[in-house]
Amino acid sequence: MGLRGVVGQGLEASHVMDFAAAFGTFLEPGPVIIGRDPRSSGVMMREGVVSALLATGHDVMDLGIVSTPVIQHSIQRNNAVGGISIGASHNSAEWNALKFFGARGTYLSTAEASELLDIYHLRKFHFVDYTGLGRLYTNEAALDRYLHDLAAVFDLEALRQYKIVVDCCNGTSSLILRRLAGQYGLNFILINERIEGVSFAHEPSINASTVSLQLAPLMKPLGADAGFLFDIDSDRVAIACEDGTPVSEEMVLPMIADAQLAKGPGKLVITNLSTTALLEEVAAKHGGRVVRVPVGRQAAMDALATYRPEQIAVAGEGTGAIMMPQFRFVYDGIASMLAILSLMHERGAKLSEIVAGYPRYSILKDEVPLVSQRVPMLMMELNGLYGDGLADMRDGLRVSWPERWFHVRVSQTEPVVRVICEQKGEAPCALFEALMDQVRSMA
Amino acid sequence: MREHRLKIGVSGIRGVVGEFLTPSLAASFAQAFGTFVGAGRVVLGRDTRMSGEMLQHAVSCGLLATGCEVVDVGIQPTPTIQIYVGATRARGGISVTASHNPAEYNALKLFNHQGLFFNHYERRELLDIYYESEFRTATNAEVRRITSDHETPMRMHVERVLRHVDVERIRARKFRVALDGVNGAGSVLSCRFLQQELGCALHAISVDPTKPFPREAEPRPDTLGDLRELVLRERANIGFGQDPDGDRLAVCDETGRVLDNDDVLALVVDAVLTAMPGDVVVNLTTSSVIDDIAARHGRRVYRTPVGEANVVEMMQATKAVIGGEGSNGGIIFPSVQYCRDSYTGMAFLLDLMERTGKTVSQLAQERLPKYTRLSGKVAFEHGRLGPVMQALEESFPQAQLDRTDGLKLVFEDGWIHVRASNTEPILRLAVEAREEGRASELRDLVSGLLR
Repeated sequence: MGLRGVVGQGLEASHVMDFAAAFGTFLEPGPVIIGRDPRSSGVMMREGVVSALLATGHDVMDLGIVSTPVIQHSIQRNNAVGGISIGASHNSAEWNALKFFGARGTYLSTAEASELLDIYHLRKFHFVDYTGLGRLYTNEAALDRYLHDLAAVFDLEALRQYKIVVDCCNGTSSLILRRLAGQYGLNFILINERIEGVSFAHEPSINASTVSLQLAPLMKPLGADAGFLFDIDSDRVAIACEDGTPVSEEMVLPMIADAQLAKGPGKLVITNLSTTALLEEVAAKHGGRVVRVPVGRQAAMDALATYRPEQIAVAGEGTGAIMMPQFRFVYDGIASMLAILSLMHERGAKLSEIVAGYPRYSILKDEVPLVSQRVPMLMMELNGLYGDGLADMRDGLRVSWPERWFHVRVSQTEPVVRVICEQKGEAPCALFEALMDQVRSMA
Repeated sequence: MREHRLKIGVSGIRGVVGEFLTPSLAASFAQAFGTFVGAGRVVLGRDTRMSGEMLQHAVSCGLLATGCEVVDVGIQPTPTIQIYVGATRARGGISVTASHNPAEYNALKLFNHQGLFFNHYERRELLDIYYESEFRTATNAEVRRITSDHETPMRMHVERVLRHVDVERIRARKFRVALDGVNGAGSVLSCRFLQQELGCALHAISVDPTKPFPREAEPRPDTLGDLRELVLRERANIGFGQDPDGDRLAVCDETGRVLDNDDVLALVVDAVLTAMPGDVVVNLTTSSVIDDIAARHGRRVYRTPVGEANVVEMMQATKAVIGGEGSNGGIIFPSVQYCRDSYTGMAFLLDLMERTGKTVSQLAQERLPKYTRLSGKVAFEHGRLGPVMQALEESFPQAQLDRTDGLKLVFEDGWIHVRASNTEPILRLAVEAREEGRASELRDLVSGLLR
């Protein structure tokens, strides 16, 4: 939950200040940690966020240009009452956004988010008088403490053997990776590493098609063992194999789930209804179970809150955003990268061999313009048409059969109906075509 | 009495921080300012008020959102910021300061590309933009950066002022100087200016910009007790008292007496007119001592409504060489900058002491004709102003009338000035006469009428 828009065309300074003031009002008294991605508009947003937080009586620790996971770690490490990440992640440069975190560095729960929204809409902010205003300070040590936490979980020394190509997409990952290389001797070749505010080398989309265009062609010429593509705030990752093949973003979660479940058999994998069914297969291999929830971080956070951390192996999405319990459930692309590299090391296998070791699933996705009024009828009709499958209606309609499923849902971010369909082996073209026709005619 | 805890008007935005002056209001006002001056460099600084940091970030946010580049000069006296704006060809400047107002207040002082207050019409246009909320909005590619320059502004200011006095001879005298910086924006600059640049033996109190104001912010005889003690204890030749943003100056003589601000201005006017030919501009409430001094030099005095911007406008129009507002400790010397500047005052007074070899009390005694000045204020209801003014006119049929700012009644042997305050719901009353008895007589007459 947060605030997102195109700066100057929808997202204005007043929205930033009011949202930050609402957040400052919502939080318990205490320090708040902020950071930003390198977009030019981030400085403007930071100024607004800082003043609103100081005005609501919070000391502010500004980490400058950092990844979102570093902000979340710093919240935990410094006993801050919350944090704000200024950055639009995988959106193009003209976008920006605020992401809010609670006292443990985690996303707000649905209840907390709705309280924050109520304060925002009422515009009753708790501005303190001049004696109670907060102070602004910086913290240079945040990044090193984060790296220290990573080193405590992963055997970084063992990963020195790999030549790793990373497309930083001009975002925050280069700052972390350069330090990882300097302090722990990891061997990175960074491309698009320069921090940029206005134009990125390419869209920061974390998916297989960007990987195949930007990163995969470099793998063989550079003789790299693995390739990784980060979004601007480094909270998710996409992958290329040493032989130059891109790995679908859908594969990141199953691979990490496999690694995590191997160490903790029988645990849970939390994911959404739109993510690959390969997860059930991987989980079954380790006696684990997949818990599916509606799409969106909010639902994932609520699900996490209903289990004890030690029950959970991993949580994540098919978008390449993964949270591991070792890092107190923070979407962290860098940690995901280290988990994949560790998997290569533990198995003594090449990345392409590991990927080839999983059964093939084929996924098809498309979208149709939304007519909200017709959505309930659409879902009812589809449910009737596909009554032979197992229906889940928590987020649109998901119908599953053995080795095949589809999910039709309304996007939370755009006015479209998303249609997604997966099958083990060959692509479910006939089913997908039929579905698209039905959705188009009814939506 | 009703208090104005938030005021948004042609003189900008001012209020009690927290419930009234919020960061959102400050940012919106900065957006209006950025829209008005256009995308370019805008200088941003502040005084040492505890709310300064918070408001500076809000203003910075608003400026960046309209596509301005922010040049952060940090904590600086207002005149220093004004000089820097003019000298660096910025689009404009903003000083986050409530000047002499109490610590719970803050405000924005706005400057044009020359580092001057906007004129009345510009201020009205700016206010229209604010109320319409039709701000220019920069896209990501248009958002510019924040740069910072904390050193150049101070250097420029010192250079500009010292050009007009004999630094070597002042240094040689090693004046003993006492200073009360009210822990304000001038704290750092004043010590450097008096000690390093002018070679004074400095005894300073309240020059820690990280601490709160130790006294009432306005430098007046009744708020400068510590300075007077300091002057006597350290046997200082002169004592200086500043306000939080370093534009106003109060002066304490070597006997521990705080001079009337009118007399301080008069001494500086005398010194300037001795050095260069030209006319003088002061506001209507400033003492007639200025007329006497100017007459001595064969120069003319122009009078304006109260307010720095009014004085500056008239100074530009008449090409005056010196001006100010005696009533509130403002000395305006255009060769440095068209703004109130305490440093110009300090430099000229030390220079005058050096050239004449006289003490401050001697200078005042010998050079300034004696006047008795009385002032006061009365709570006032809107709608009552007209009848009050009429009653005054009728009571003093022999007086010469000036209606440019409230009502000024000028007699052979004194004057009365009654005006509504711009910042508070009160009527301000000023009376001056050569004879003490006459002054009290005039004051009592007016007070009676006002009740």
